Amino acid sequence: MLNALSPTSVVASRAFFPPLLAAGFLLLLVVLASLLYGAGPVSASDAMAALMANGTEEAWFVVTELRLPRTIIALITGLALGLAGALLQSMTRNPLAEPGLLGVSAGSGFAVALAILLGATTATLTTLSAQLGALAGCALVIAATRVQGLGNDPVRLVLAGATMTGLLLALTSMLMLMDQRAADEIRFWITGSVAGKPLSMLWATLPSITLALVLIAIVARPLAAMALGEKAAVGLGHHPGRIRFLITFTVALLVGSATALAGPLIFVGLVVPFIARAFSGPDIRKTLWLCVPVGPAVVLGADVLSRLIAAPAEMPLGVVTALIGAPVLLAIVRAGRMPSL
Amino acid sequence: MTCRTHALKQTLLRSIAALTLSTMGVGASLADSRSVETAYGPVTVNGQPERVVTLYEGALDTTLAVDANPVGAVITRGGSDVADYIKSRAGDIAIVGAPAETNIEAVISVRPDLILAAPRTNEQQYQLLSRIAPVIVSDVPMFQPDSWERETRLFAKALGKEEAAERVIAKVESRIGEVAALVAARIPEAQRDATLVRWMPQGPLVMAEGLFSASILQAVGFRIDDNDLVKEGRPHSEPLSLENLSSMDQSWVFLATLNEDGDKALEAARQSPAFARLDAVEHDRVITVSGQLWTSATGPLAVLAILDDIEAAVTAIQP
Repeated sequence: MLNALSPTSVVASRAFFPPLLAAGFLLLLVVLASLLYGAGPVSASDAMAALMANGTEEAWFVVTELRLPRTIIALITGLALGLAGALLQSMTRNPLAEPGLLGVSAGSGFAVALAILLGATTATLTTLSAQLGALAGCALVIAATRVQGLGNDPVRLVLAGATMTGLLLALTSMLMLMDQRAADEIRFWITGSVAGKPLSMLWATLPSITLALVLIAIVARPLAAMALGEKAAVGLGHHPGRIRFLITFTVALLVGSATALAGPLIFVGLVVPFIARAFSGPDIRKTLWLCVPVGPAVVLGADVLSRLIAAPAEMPLGVVTALIGAPVLLAIVRAGRMPSL
Repeated sequence: MTCRTHALKQTLLRSIAALTLSTMGVGASLADSRSVETAYGPVTVNGQPERVVTLYEGALDTTLAVDANPVGAVITRGGSDVADYIKSRAGDIAIVGAPAETNIEAVISVRPDLILAAPRTNEQQYQLLSRIAPVIVSDVPMFQPDSWERETRLFAKALGKEEAAERVIAKVESRIGEVAALVAARIPEAQRDATLVRWMPQGPLVMAEGLFSASILQAVGFRIDDNDLVKEGRPHSEPLSLENLSSMDQSWVFLATLNEDGDKALEAARQSPAFARLDAVEHDRVITVSGQLWTSATGPLAVLAILDDIEAAVTAIQP
């Protein structure tokens, strides 16, 4: 543990594979928990029996038709938000650069609320508007980092993001006042949840997620080079401007997909890279690899909690991720010396 | 000295004037002045109020049912006007706010001589309203089967329309008898279990057994059980997890929606596999009803409208 936290990448690289395996194992456990536990009368042992193909029809239904879809959706959401957070933080060299905190999720959320109000019902349309909103949000963030002084100060950037988020939430509330039917739908969606989401939503986002993964494979090496300084990156034959554009596009794809699936979940993009970096050290490529099991585990774990806290109702997933994330944010800000990326 | 005599004279004059006025008023107020027991103690109402403001859906319903004259009302929850079932009777009544959000200026501008307020009106609001006109806050406990009846009598007393109220209540009771007979004839005893829910995107809200419309369903012979999902004193449960949908699996499901498009809500609910596999859904025993009427309204006219809905649903079933 002490070794893993050590900042020197030599030590970190030696301790890279054990954490990756451990995180993968943890993810498996969380997936199992997600299939076994719920807010309903089907208990863990009933669900286990159903998985062993000798349970009741009711248990089989709950496990395969209710818990399995939300498990898959939570996994994809966690993957997307974790990776998006790591990319954004590395690119802006700001450990607080998180899609939720910077207003990217809120932008995406506002776009979806607008789409719902205008009567969008198809999964494709919702996903597209979420991604467009995220793209606009990302563009604003990039613009903000270029403002003198703002880009160098992580906390001020977050303040700018909070302002943005406040404005967008107010606009979203205004939309909700305009139409009662849409308001119910938007309110549910805006607090964040993976329950009862149709799998058609997942199919609509999979192409974007796949494209984003390909793009990450392309930009990971140049991004690592940029961490050494822009001149070094240029020296190694990379084009920082082009890389930055690709990353912005990738983050928008990821955040837009995640938001379309589960609503604007705040703090996930902060917590996941934070945990990953603790084990990977500063190398963005390793951080990204670790985010692959950690992101899904965090979101799915939060979802399992959301079912158990308020049974027979369910706590909104967004509330649980915020409860988990807020202390991490405080820890990073209070840690006196902000880890510079 | 002169000044003092002047003052004395004025006081004397004033008291004579007051005396004369009160003697003149005695005749009318003795005949028509009555004390109404409210949540904030007895309130005296004189004569027959002509300009009534209703800050509660049940009060508007009662006022219209006894043919009194409401001049102001609040919008129905989630709507932009009074509830649809009552709109034609209410005419173009002035809107003076939303439930629990009274626009005091609007109340003053319609110059009421009686205000019928909501059961949960707080003290501060009550004091404020009392400066405009006598305020009746119902002291009837909510979510009891006879809540609407007791409220109707209370408001009718304040309105000076007690006889009209008794006539309306008698009419409602005879209608309940008619519909109960229809239910008994059409639906076998074993299939009269029902549940009343409001479908929300995140899952269903199960309505309390004591809710107004649930008690009407019981009065005509349905069995309503909220399975203890609803906390004491609350009108409905939290939105249930989809995993708990099986607990609302009764022979009949009355599905209320706040917007009027019930079919669309049913279609949305059907998208959820957990809903689609309910017994009532498979046997086509899901009745979509207006949430404005079934989950927000109360009062004798609302009972009659709900009874019409039940009658239509039961008549439509294939034997």
